[in-house]
Amino acid sequence: MDESLRHESVSHPMKLRKSKSISNNFESLFHEYWATVNRLLLRMVIDPAEAEDLALETFFRLYKYRPASDEEFNIGGWLHRVAANLALQSIRSFKRREQYELKAGKGALEESPENQPPEIFGEQENRRVVRIALAQMNPRQAELLVMRYSGMAYKDIAAALSLSPTSIGPLLLRAEREFEKHYRALTQEEER
Amino acid sequence: MNKHLNEGQLRAALDGELDAEGLMHLKACSDCQARQKALQTQVKLIADQLTFLSSPTKDARLPASTAWHRFNQQKLNRKEIPMYKKLFALPLIRYGLPALLVLTLIIAVPDIRAFASELLNLFRVQQVTVVPVDFTGMQQLEGVVGRDISQLISDSITMKKEPGEPVNAASAEEASQLAGFNVRAPEGQTPSRISVMSGAYFSFTIDRDKAQALLDEAGRSDLFLPEEVDGADVSVNIPSSVSIAFGTCPEPSNEGEVEREMERETTTSGSPGRVYKDCIILAQIPSPEVSAPASLDIAKLAQLGLEFTGMTAEEAAEFTSTVDWTSTLIVPIPKNAASYEQVTVDGVTGTLIERPSDDAPQFALFWVKDGIIYTIGGLGTNTQKALEIANSLP
Repeated sequence: MDESLRHESVSHPMKLRKSKSISNNFESLFHEYWATVNRLLLRMVIDPAEAEDLALETFFRLYKYRPASDEEFNIGGWLHRVAANLALQSIRSFKRREQYELKAGKGALEESPENQPPEIFGEQENRRVVRIALAQMNPRQAELLVMRYSGMAYKDIAAALSLSPTSIGPLLLRAEREFEKHYRALTQEEER
Repeated sequence: MNKHLNEGQLRAALDGELDAEGLMHLKACSDCQARQKALQTQVKLIADQLTFLSSPTKDARLPASTAWHRFNQQKLNRKEIPMYKKLFALPLIRYGLPALLVLTLIIAVPDIRAFASELLNLFRVQQVTVVPVDFTGMQQLEGVVGRDISQLISDSITMKKEPGEPVNAASAEEASQLAGFNVRAPEGQTPSRISVMSGAYFSFTIDRDKAQALLDEAGRSDLFLPEEVDGADVSVNIPSSVSIAFGTCPEPSNEGEVEREMERETTTSGSPGRVYKDCIILAQIPSPEVSAPASLDIAKLAQLGLEFTGMTAEEAAEFTSTVDWTSTLIVPIPKNAASYEQVTVDGVTGTLIERPSDDAPQFALFWVKDGIIYTIGGLGTNTQKALEIANSLP
C-alpha cells in the first residue's frame, strides 16, 4: 500500500468521541478543539486573520446549534465539517472578489513570481488552483475530500455526514474523480 | 468472499479501511490486486495535490485562551435571535397554519400519471411525513444567497388575495361561521383566545434560469433544474384557518407588533421561553389547494430540494420513492436537533416533533383528519397537554 495515501486516524485530534454535554462543557470543548479547527482553516484559506474569524464562526455555530442528543453527536466531525464548509464558502467568495478586481484592473501584485523563489511560488500557485477546484465542486463531495485528506478516519467521516462507513470508499473515489475534472480544467485554463 | 472487490472497496483498501473479509479476498485474488494497483496510480496523482490539507503547519497564532476571550466578547455583541422568538415571529401565529404550511414546503401531490391528460394537477394534503434534514450543509443560505432567494420568491409571487388581520371569535361556533368549516374546540378546556385568519390566494411563475443561477451561487451547480419547469404557473389557494390559544400567548398580529410586544414583555418579565412557557396553540385548516401544470414533475423537484438540503442523490431518491406524493405534507426537521415519533391522536396517526433545548424546548404535533390539517405547537416539554387537547376534540 502506498503510504502517501494513508492517514493515521488513531492519533487524529478530530476523532470521534462521545461528549458528556456540550452545553455544560462548552468552554472545555472550545479549548480542546480550537487549535485543530484553526489549523485546518489555516491550510484551507491561508490568511491567518481569515482563518481565526472562520474558526470563531465555527464555534459560534456549535454554540447556537446545541444538538438534542449529546450521546450520539460527533463533535469533532461536526466542527470539521462546518469549518470545511466555511472555508469553501470563503474561497468561493474570494474567487468572486478576485475576478471582480481583475476585471477592474486591480491585479494582485503581491503574488508576483519575482517576489518569491520559483519552487515556492509554483507550489503556492498549485495549492491556489486546488482550493479553487474544491470550491467549485459539489459541497458535499468537497467536504468529504477535505475531511479525508485532513486525516479523518472513515467512521468519523461517516458519522459527520450521516453515512455508513462502507459507503465512504465509493463516495471518496467519486469525489476524487470529480476533483480531478475541475483541477484539470482549471490548470488547462491557466495555461492558456 | 468469492465476489471480486468493487472499486469503492479497493479505494478503501488503499486507505487501510477495508474490512477483514475484503482484505482476505484481496490477498488471495491476483485480479483484484492488479485492479487495485491501477487504481492506486490514479488516486496517487490526486492525493499528491491534496496532501497539503494534512501537512504540519505552524500552530495557530491565537492561543485558545485568547480566542476564548474573543469568542465571549463577540458573543455579547451578537444579538442572538432565539428559535422561540423566530417561532412566534412566524406566520403560525400571525396567519395561522396556512403560511406555516407554505413555509414548510407543504406539497400534497396527486398521482401525476393519473392527471397527465388534464391541464392542471390539484394537490391536497391527507397525511404528514417528517423528513430529518441536516441543515449543516445549508449554511451558505445565510447572507447574500439567502437574500437573493427571498428576493426571487417575492419577485415571482403574485398575491391575488392577501390574508387579512386575525379576527377574534367568542366561540368555536362563531369561528366556524367566520372560517367556513366546522371548527373543533377541545371539551373541558378554556381557550385564552380564538382567532380566525382569512385565507389567501396567490400564484407564482417559475423562472428556471434565475433559480438555477441561485443554485450555482449556493455552490450547488451539480443540481440541474429541468428546462420544462421554466414558466410553469403554480396557484395556491389557502383556506381560512383558526387558531385556538391556551395559556399566555403573544397577540397574533403583524410581525412588527409581535416582535415589539415580545421585546416589551420579555424585557420586563424574562425570556420568551419563560413568559410564554404555558402557551399552546391549536391550529386547524382545511387542506390548501395547489394547482400546477400536469407536466411539472413535483417528485423530481422534491428530490432536488432534498439533495439541496444535503442528502445524496441516492438518499433523496430513496426517500421520494417511499413517499406517497399524492397526498403528503412534508415537514423538514433539523436532524440531531429534533426528534419525532408517530403517535395515535384524535383516532388517527399523527406525528409529534420535539426540539429539546436548555432554555427553549419546543414541540409540535401534526395530524390530518377528514380533510382538515391540525397542529398543536408550544414551548416547553408539556407534550402530554398537547395530546390531551388533541384527544378531547369532539
